[in-house]
Amino acid sequence: MARRAVAGSAPDRVDNAVASLLPLATTVLAMLLSIQPIPIPGYAALTPAFTLMAAYHWTIYRPDLLPPLALFIIGSVQDLIAGGLLGTTALLLLLARGLVLRHRDHFINRPFPFVWSGFTMLTGAAMLFLWSLHSLLTAGLLDFRSTVFRAVLTISLFPAASFLLGRAQRGLMGGG
Amino acid sequence: MIRLSPARRATLQRIAFPLLVSLSAMMIILGKADQVVFESLRSSVIDAAAPALDMLSRPLATLDSLVQRVRGVIIVYEDNARLVQENERLLGWQQAARKLASENAQLHELLKLAPEPAISYVTARVIANSGGAYVRSLMVNAGRENGVVRGEAAVNGDGLAGRVSEVGSRAARILLITDLNSRVPVIVEGSRQRAVLAGDNSERPSLRYVEAGGAIKIGDRIVTSGQGGVFPPGLPVGVITAFDGELARVEPYVELSRVEYLRLVDYGLADALPDPVPIAPRGGRRAEAPSGGQPARH
Repeated sequence: MARRAVAGSAPDRVDNAVASLLPLATTVLAMLLSIQPIPIPGYAALTPAFTLMAAYHWTIYRPDLLPPLALFIIGSVQDLIAGGLLGTTALLLLLARGLVLRHRDHFINRPFPFVWSGFTMLTGAAMLFLWSLHSLLTAGLLDFRSTVFRAVLTISLFPAASFLLGRAQRGLMGGG
Repeated sequence: MIRLSPARRATLQRIAFPLLVSLSAMMIILGKADQVVFESLRSSVIDAAAPALDMLSRPLATLDSLVQRVRGVIIVYEDNARLVQENERLLGWQQAARKLASENAQLHELLKLAPEPAISYVTARVIANSGGAYVRSLMVNAGRENGVVRGEAAVNGDGLAGRVSEVGSRAARILLITDLNSRVPVIVEGSRQRAVLAGDNSERPSLRYVEAGGAIKIGDRIVTSGQGGVFPPGLPVGVITAFDGELARVEPYVELSRVEYLRLVDYGLADALPDPVPIAPRGGRRAEAPSGGQPARH
């Protein structure tokens, strides 16, 4: 995934290169995490949308370092590995980015509850979108409960993800 | 990333976004219309990701086995008592099974029944799941190089888990029996009624197109019927645990969310059998392909 080689002898340049890869690296990590086989009954269906968390966080704080192309590739690879319909995750992440970018001013440098409520709305919309898309494609109404549970789990795990991403961001990039 | 002037970069981003959105939408439509169009892309991505996924899933698997081990130590006394009892009971069953096996062999002999083709299998570790509400599949770390063929049954000690739906050279995808696209011809063991076990992405697939005659009830065992030639007859699948109105719900025997290893079994049911050789033992008429050319099989 690393499209830029970590070159240069000066330490600050190396730091810079590593730091600018952080959004990409954490989003790839989130993608890998969401396909991990975790031995909890029923977990697979309710796997939180980790990739959406990373995409949301970075779109608010550093959208320049997580461009649409990166989201498209990560989403497509996730679909290809997970066996889902190719294009769904890419489309979801891209639309999420578009939506968040438009309302970015409401979230940047605001207290966490604002950021969280923004994510809650985004996740609600995203899950509804996925459900409608899959229902449309299978020409029948799919079970809505797992979608709701998945949304709830994703929203409730967001503070932890946001904390970790924020720490990594401050640690490597300094400042918010 | 190439350094661009802010203005040029903004223009590029403005074009890139709608372009990628429409590309994604096109891929969805294309993939839905023609399932095989992305197949080679899928298997190459599976292959490329397999080593990383294999490595990543190891710590979790190790942690899980550690937890199991600690739990095992804690309940070792009760476990032992239970196992002694179970052993006694199983010894009884063993006697019965031996008697039945010899009787069965004699009856086969009398009927000149064609023997079941010999089976061969590959055991593979689960390295990824589908992570989402709309697909039920697993990825395992064995592929074409290990002799895995598309359509093989994926089973473990408890019963049928799914079938191989995509094969890369080092990894393969298993479509679970709970997936929306899974249809398995089965029979209700007691009444011998034929039916189709249809997945719907829930934990318990439903029993559809149940043959008329006899009532099915909670507790009935469901096994594969062997119709359609994908699975051999008699593989344990699950047990009816509930009714959704008229629809019987089947609890799979395999704990699909906890499965760590799967056996991908070649029952020799493939249509094109190259190089047929007759089987010596019982003088049957059916032939099967030698599996000696696949070193990874046991």
